[in-house]
Amino acid sequence: MSPVSDKVLRRPLHVLVLLLACLAAVHAVLYSHYRHRLAEYEARSDLRQIATAALGLSDLCIATEARYTRHPAASDAVVPFMDHPGAIEHFPTGSFWAPPIPGGIREVGK
Amino acid sequence: MLIELEGVTKIYNQGQINEVVALRDIDLRIKEHTLNCLRGASGCGKSTLLSIIGCVIQPTSGRTAIAGLQPARMPDRFLTVHRRRCIGFIFQNYNILPALTVRENITLPLVPLGLSRRAMAERVERLLQQFSIGHRGNFPAGRISGGELQRVAIARALVNDPPPSSWQTNPRPISTAV
Amino acid sequence: MNGGLTKHLNIIDYTLSSLWRRRARNASVLIVFAGVIFLVASFQFVTEALTETALDSLRTAPEITIQRLSAGRQTEVPLDYGEQVASIHGVREVVPRIWGYYFDEVTGANLTVIGVDLERMPLGEKLNLTLAEGEVPEPGASGWVLVGRSIKRIVESKGTAYLSLFRPDLSQASYAITGVFDAVTDVLTNDLIVMDIGDARDLFHISPAAATDLCVYVANLEEVPNIARKIAAALPDARVLTRSQISQTYQVVFGWRSGFASVCLLTALAAFVIFAWDKASGLSPEERREITILKILGWETSDILAVRFWEGALVAGGAFIAGCTGAYIHVAYFDASLFRSVMVGWSVIHPSLRLVPSLQVSTLLLIFCFTVLPYMAATVIPAWRSAIVPTDSALSGM
Ligand SMILES: Nc1ncnc2c1ncn2[C@@H]1O[C@H](COP(=O)(O)OP(=O)(O)O)[C@@H](O)[C@H]1O
Ligand SMILES: [Mg+2]
Repeated sequence: MSPVSDKVLRRPLHVLVLLLACLAAVHAVLYSHYRHRLAEYEARSDLRQIATAALGLSDLCIATEARYTRHPAASDAVVPFMDHPGAIEHFPTGSFWAPPIPGGIREVGK
Repeated sequence: MLIELEGVTKIYNQGQINEVVALRDIDLRIKEHTLNCLRGASGCGKSTLLSIIGCVIQPTSGRTAIAGLQPARMPDRFLTVHRRRCIGFIFQNYNILPALTVRENITLPLVPLGLSRRAMAERVERLLQQFSIGHRGNFPAGRISGGELQRVAIARALVNDPPPSSWQTNPRPISTAV
Repeated sequence: MNGGLTKHLNIIDYTLSSLWRRRARNASVLIVFAGVIFLVASFQFVTEALTETALDSLRTAPEITIQRLSAGRQTEVPLDYGEQVASIHGVREVVPRIWGYYFDEVTGANLTVIGVDLERMPLGEKLNLTLAEGEVPEPGASGWVLVGRSIKRIVESKGTAYLSLFRPDLSQASYAITGVFDAVTDVLTNDLIVMDIGDARDLFHISPAAATDLCVYVANLEEVPNIARKIAAALPDARVLTRSQISQTYQVVFGWRSGFASVCLLTALAAFVIFAWDKASGLSPEERREITILKILGWETSDILAVRFWEGALVAGGAFIAGCTGAYIHVAYFDASLFRSVMVGWSVIHPSLRLVPSLQVSTLLLIFCFTVLPYMAATVIPAWRSAIVPTDSALSGM
């Protein structure tokens, strides 16, 4: 029987398994940190609710360039078009905001 | 009989303008444990005949029995299994995959057999030694000389040789040079 | 060991070494694909995290908000509207509020000013908890402001201890900063200047008999739609927003926003799938030859497909894992900074969002279905088509 060197017996599959194990370890760390952050986030959610209630806020402060982007929920559908009837609003985020639900309260319950 | 052909005819592109009658009404009987040689002018149909014996193509008409099996009745899937158990191929142009190493090329017929890695490596190693190409084992097959390539092709044709323990139950593989 | 399993492991080994042999090509496909998945997943994570935050925070928003429209624009609400609303049965409290925007010409920032009577707001007495520094002044005091962290930074950069704003007649009003909101509430309060409602009227020159809008609180939440309808009937020129409408709007807003982005990204994805299909379906003569040789050497069609399947699965799965992990890190640790320019537009004030992407199986599954499956199909189907051709006809041309 001819000798078979160990190098020939080495399987690429083992490399893959090793790689997957490393990936799993990285993800385990990420996931545990995620759980930690989520718990923290949920623990502090009452602070955000206090701020909303005490100040009567209706929107997040993400894009502050114009009032219809700072407060999309309390804005008008026409606001972005006020500069010129044909003008598409000129703020970059404006193109990403949908107008508020049309019809207002008169639609409720219909 | 290991190989039996009766009235085998092969017509390529039948009914088309480029129709070729490669074999007409061939009868052939070959016994086990014999070494046979097929001679003929170029284009007379040697490769076609060996392809039929190797169960790679089906004859247009006629009866064949190869190692106890009648390929005409078999679906492609069984022919594949039959091929890898009983038949070794050496192609005219070798059909070695140039990107794979010599060792990987010789191992190819063994991969679907479900052998352990050690068993496969041992068989391949034995053939590498037998054909004195052990020193080329890890070379890409595209980078070796023509003579070595030929030996790789022969080694690959013989690698699915069943182990001695099963010689009685399995027919020895037929090696065909196509 | 079981023969079938060993065979499969051998096939995976073969796949891995052929992947490795073509590593340059496979790595480039993997990187491009991971990039596409990264973008899709980042957008999905950001919009979901923001929607979640919005819906969670807005649970305590005023039940009904009343604004007045004149010539299609929002104008001041007279305080007698508040009295009319308060007389509707079931209304617990009506709180007038001033809010507006102040453009700071030095920094180019658009600030939000809120004038509110904290004593009358729900949870107003707890507002202290949301302050990182200082505290809410005693009721009745004036000349104070509570500011978000960005405002604090702007004031500090100017080197003054007071916040100075200009009234419409260009006279200056100065306020003492008595509190700064915590970073935890940044996503709501970052650009806010909260002051006494009287100070806000003075700053904007709004008459004492008017407000920007009215916050309405009701006794029984079930009654909100009814009461809102009554208000709308009593005050025809009012715009009545209920909390559920606002949340709905929010869902639509983010849905639409991410929808828009998805369209862009899906275009990229489609381009990628076409590219992958092109690569894979036009199996090169080399690959076709390999498939034929393998078949003649005794590989079954299913073995060849298994090789292709694992090839596709490893490339696409690797890209999926890399893309999603990258997207998570991008959103969770870098605040989705690559999307900053799209999300905040020209805004000068950027809150630190501190997003926690919600890792929902459905999200990941959605991304998986839109990315990995098409790629797998694009790699396996052409190989299948070329592997089911009987060796008979495959051999011709060899
Ligand atoms: N796939 C094919 N399609 C059409 N004609 C073929 C095909 N293969 C072989 N032939 C023709 O069949 C005849 C026999 O070919 P072959 O068996 O290859 O001859 P050789 O004896 O030289 O090996 C030749 O005329 C060849 O051109
Ligand atoms: Mg020939």
